[in-house]
Amino acid sequence: MEILAVRDLSFKYPMCSAAAIEDVSFTLEKGEFAVLCGGTGSGKSTLLRMIKRELTPLGERCGTVSFMGRDTETLDDRTAASAIGFVMQKPEQQIVTDKVWHELAFGLENLGISQEETARRTAEMASYFGIGEWFDSDVSQLSGGQKQLLNLASVLVMQPELLILDEPTAQLDPIAASDFIATLKRLNQDFSLTILMVEHRLEDVVPVCDRLMVLEDGHLTHSGRPEEVITSIRGRSEIMCGMPAAARIYCALEHSGASPLTVRGGRRYIEENYSNGQRSLPDAAYSHSSEPALEMKDVYFRYTRESEDVLSGLDLTVYSGEIFCLLGGNGSGKTTTLKAASELVRIYSGRIKVFGRKLKEYRNRTLYNECLAMLPQDVQTVFLKNTVREELQDAGADVNALPYDISHLLDKHPYDLSGGEQQLAALAKVLAAKPKLLLLDEPTKGLDAYSRSRMTEVLRRLKADGVTIVTVTHDVEFAAECADRCGLFFGGRVVSCGTPAEFFSGNSFYTTAASRMTRGYYDRAVTAEQAAELCRLNGRRCGE
Amino acid sequence: MRSFSEYDPVVIAVFFVTVLSVAMFCGHPIIAAITLFTGVIYNIVLNGRQHMKSHLFFLILFIVLAAANPLVSHNGVTVLFVMNHNPVTLEALLYGINSAAMIVGVLYWFRNFTRIMTSDKLLHIFGRLSPKLSLVLSMALRFVPLFKGQAEKVHDAQRAMGAYKDDNIVDDIRGNMRIFSIIVTWALENGIITADSMEARGYGTGRRTSFTRYRLRGEDIVFLAADLILFGAAIAAIVTDSVEFTFYPVVRGSISGIAGAAGTAAYGIMLLMPVIVEAEVRIRWKYLQSGI
Repeated sequence: MEILAVRDLSFKYPMCSAAAIEDVSFTLEKGEFAVLCGGTGSGKSTLLRMIKRELTPLGERCGTVSFMGRDTETLDDRTAASAIGFVMQKPEQQIVTDKVWHELAFGLENLGISQEETARRTAEMASYFGIGEWFDSDVSQLSGGQKQLLNLASVLVMQPELLILDEPTAQLDPIAASDFIATLKRLNQDFSLTILMVEHRLEDVVPVCDRLMVLEDGHLTHSGRPEEVITSIRGRSEIMCGMPAAARIYCALEHSGASPLTVRGGRRYIEENYSNGQRSLPDAAYSHSSEPALEMKDVYFRYTRESEDVLSGLDLTVYSGEIFCLLGGNGSGKTTTLKAASELVRIYSGRIKVFGRKLKEYRNRTLYNECLAMLPQDVQTVFLKNTVREELQDAGADVNALPYDISHLLDKHPYDLSGGEQQLAALAKVLAAKPKLLLLDEPTKGLDAYSRSRMTEVLRRLKADGVTIVTVTHDVEFAAECADRCGLFFGGRVVSCGTPAEFFSGNSFYTTAASRMTRGYYDRAVTAEQAAELCRLNGRRCGE
Repeated sequence: MRSFSEYDPVVIAVFFVTVLSVAMFCGHPIIAAITLFTGVIYNIVLNGRQHMKSHLFFLILFIVLAAANPLVSHNGVTVLFVMNHNPVTLEALLYGINSAAMIVGVLYWFRNFTRIMTSDKLLHIFGRLSPKLSLVLSMALRFVPLFKGQAEKVHDAQRAMGAYKDDNIVDDIRGNMRIFSIIVTWALENGIITADSMEARGYGTGRRTSFTRYRLRGEDIVFLAADLILFGAAIAAIVTDSVEFTFYPVVRGSISGIAGAAGTAAYGIMLLMPVIVEAEVRIRWKYLQSGI
């Protein structure tokens, strides 16, 4: 049964010459799981908002959107609100009320559902999602992943037929994100719920979806089964860079046949088609300078007297001129490490030295002057002014001296920029203090694959200028690509440390998809490029 | 078998209103003594040994309030001594003690009230009056910690970027003002998304209901009835002037007749009701546990 039909839809924002979306047509069958991808500004969010009537922006629109055979314009208010569910990107800001149970009941209250019915449906939903334990909590106490799960549950409690999600996992750590996607898959299979989602993090979602759609500059250019779409976009690196590692390896190898999507599929594909006579690439020898930029020795820290140690016996040395990535689970103390290094929190025991001097010796905030700077996780907290230009003037930054170009963003409000642009603008402001040691907290959070690769380039260029960089990240692929050394943070200290090749090939679970795919077949292939390179060197098996 | 804090919020609210309306408007020393005494006892029942320091604070407050009156008011006929050519009288001292007992007693009951009346319960009450008002309150309650958290984050971010170059108070104040201004922008920006989320979930499509997880049970009704009867008896005694007291010019007053005695007793029992409920629950639990 056809649940959603979009025909010749075009939309133009007021005061804009170019159309945001143009002549988009597609249909969704009941129970289909569709993923929409495309670069920043390609009109993905606009398209989603055209389907959810309440969120449709003002502007010139032509074409029709029909839901279950009826134009969405003619649906009555209650059906339009409840039958199409919408989950947005930022977990925090979609939450309306202060208590978990009230948030679940909110949609039902709006529809005027009776007490008994509301009690039943919220209880049911809480049990299905395992929310029971925190049903009575304040929403401010929840983690990001829990908040997004609550947003999903409080939309589903209204029993929608179609669920629309706009980058729901962008702000979550990888584990919470794959849990969230697993939940979506379960909903899709158990209840045949129709799902349409926009996503950047495609590694987990492409293998489970039925349909992959690509939107480019407002045009729907590809739509079909994921394997087919990947085959047809193989030459387009700016779209491909977000695809699963298996698909990227496949595309890099110029090979016909269906594209593998999962790690399992990728492994089979490599084993069937390529030999492993040469098992590893020649290692690029890495030697760091002998001068330490940041030294932490036996550091202990806790937030309150009663709480447990967040940092316990932390030893960490970062040498000047290197990019060091600190990886680890949620709440393991990674961010706290950066705060301790930048003296935002005071440790109760241990020693921290920056460029050979103790933190205490940096009097009068000289620490932050041409020495150390930190870019926080939420980059919106960096901005204080109304335009990027004022922002940079305020900090005394010179746009031309930056290792990247943001001159086209200068007259925009910082909050109107996309995630990747915000990240670069904030970094520009931080760089104004000419730090020699730069601390970054999750610089790739919420970024699409293209912005992420741009961030990698920027970091490399900064490194070439002699800046030492310590980044905290959840993103193993990013760390594998840009780090000189990586460290795994667990239980308040760094438990293992090494170059990406050593580090990721040593880990079995906390590692990149390419490394999992080639484990035991090739050695030390941690990025998709390295794996593809090895395949190419070994050559296709004969007789095929 | 629930402790008083788990009773229906409406019952709790009615109880506190009745208690405070007698306590604040009847100046009889015995009434004030009952208010203070039961207020402290219930506070200890609720908090156990925590907050012992706050009791000390209230003791000091009591002494200050009691001593202040005879120093500024010189009414009364019994002069105790003369200080700075001003007579300090016994009546003024007693009046001070009485009003201190009343004020501190009422403060204690307010503390007990805020301890029991969590935001959920307040919302339940407002939800009955107006579902919209209750939603606005709930959103405000969510917003306060959000706003505070963001302000802290912005402050940290600015500091670690070297936004303040010196240990300089003027610089710090200016910095805080700029943070406040951007936080307001942030809040508005945030509000747009929240509004989208509300609209997407059908806000404004029709009449709202207000979901509540409380329902009125037998115990609630019994408690409410007892409260209202005792309150009636106390009010009757006050209205008929059976409980009256004056301090100036001479201390004079009484509790006259059966009405007066019954009213005072009723008030005392009324204020002890939460403690009685609590004691009953604890004893029953002991008994039940010994049977398990």
